[in-house]
Amino acid sequence: MSDVYRDAIERLSHVPGVRGALIVDMGAGVPVTAEVETGISPDALAALAAALYERTARASDAAGFGALSTFHLEAEGGHVVMAGAGDLVLIALVDDDAQLGRVRLETQRAAETLQ
Amino acid sequence: MKTPAPADLQRWSDELARNPASLAFLPLARAYRRLGRKDLAMRLCLRGLEEHPANVEAHALLALLYLERGERERAADEWSIVLRLKPGNFEALRGMGFRYLEENDIPRARQHLERAALIRPADAAVQEALRLLRQREASARLEEVGAEPASAPQEDEMLTLVEEVWTPDLAGFPSFIDEDPAAAGAQGAAAAEPIELREEDVEPWAVAPADEAERHAEAVDVQAEPAPRRETATAIGDPGRVFETLMIGPILGALLLDARGLVLAGNLRAEGSADDIGAIIGGAVDEAKRTVSYLELGGWRGFLMEAQSAVIHVSPVHPEATVVLAAEPGAPTGWILRTAEQAGRLAARFLEAYP
Repeated sequence: MSDVYRDAIERLSHVPGVRGALIVDMGAGVPVTAEVETGISPDALAALAAALYERTARASDAAGFGALSTFHLEAEGGHVVMAGAGDLVLIALVDDDAQLGRVRLETQRAAETLQ
Repeated sequence: MKTPAPADLQRWSDELARNPASLAFLPLARAYRRLGRKDLAMRLCLRGLEEHPANVEAHALLALLYLERGERERAADEWSIVLRLKPGNFEALRGMGFRYLEENDIPRARQHLERAALIRPADAAVQEALRLLRQREASARLEEVGAEPASAPQEDEMLTLVEEVWTPDLAGFPSFIDEDPAAAGAQGAAAAEPIELREEDVEPWAVAPADEAERHAEAVDVQAEPAPRRETATAIGDPGRVFETLMIGPILGALLLDARGLVLAGNLRAEGSADDIGAIIGGAVDEAKRTVSYLELGGWRGFLMEAQSAVIHVSPVHPEATVVLAAEPGAPTGWILRTAEQAGRLAARFLEAYP
């Protein structure tokens, strides 16, 4: 695994409230690298989240809003924050009470390092 | 014009006090208008529209009240709502026709006035306006082919007509607005009546109506509170303007979508059409729900996507409806989320009104 990828994941994983972080190859829908809590399947999360990101990116483009940069999915039990970096997407699975502002910022910064 | 009877006022007032959602606000507002208590009438109307946002007669009455206050823009807003709800409403067609005349939007003026003339061919103001319009158009055509133009109506002549019609006393605007609901069909006769209260028409009890009127207003709980924001009533009544109050600063607009991604209400300042955007964004909702379900994250609360030229927030307001809020890039995220909550509340009210 490249140091850049590992650094991005580690940086994100250390933000309070982040339960898991992955870098996913969007085309294949498979994790390039992942660090997630026990009980979460990185493969399944990678496949679903990448599909969602890709779908939304297409929608954004088709709707005339241009290229998608980040995507934040909100649910009662937590959040999924994603940021695109070319063919890759960085995904953070986050607790509901996490500092979302910081998570979003770190996700975007980490994605920038992958560009 | 029939003077409202005290017993009727009492009855409608009591009914509203018992049931604030009652339609009694309408005859009561009409009665107060006739008694010259137009502020009270307006408050009753606005309050009533919060409960009955699609009530055509209430919008039409509000238009008249605005017109009487000289607020033509607002009167035109209400007429445009009336026309969305009831495209064949004579007062609204005529009012909008003259509004467009005033703005010198001749094609739309003609369109509205011609439709009004079909409904009430004997209306002198509409016929006169159409005659002047035809003269002006004929003159313009002659000029185009280099012929000597006939005597075209001067701008002043048109504007004088507009002024006359905008003055409700001269225009015979009341028609069904001033009638009892039971007599609402008899529009022709009522149209010729003056609409202002004449002193000789006022019963002794109503000559000094202030106390009585205030008492009734308190009974329906409109006096003690500030007047509801006009935008609320307007926005709910007009699907295109449901989210209008949120359209400030970087907010590009909002859409209410049904489960099929079809737009139910709202609009967007964006490149694509609202329908296309609704369909495209709505399609991502199922994918989002599936991901939330798989991750066992509980109920889906929405998603926020940041793109090159917009930030989009999508959230559910109903098991089968979602709200899409769009803002310019760089808008503060927390503010977008709060605005999205407000949009959700407006959407919920709209869905309640149009289940």
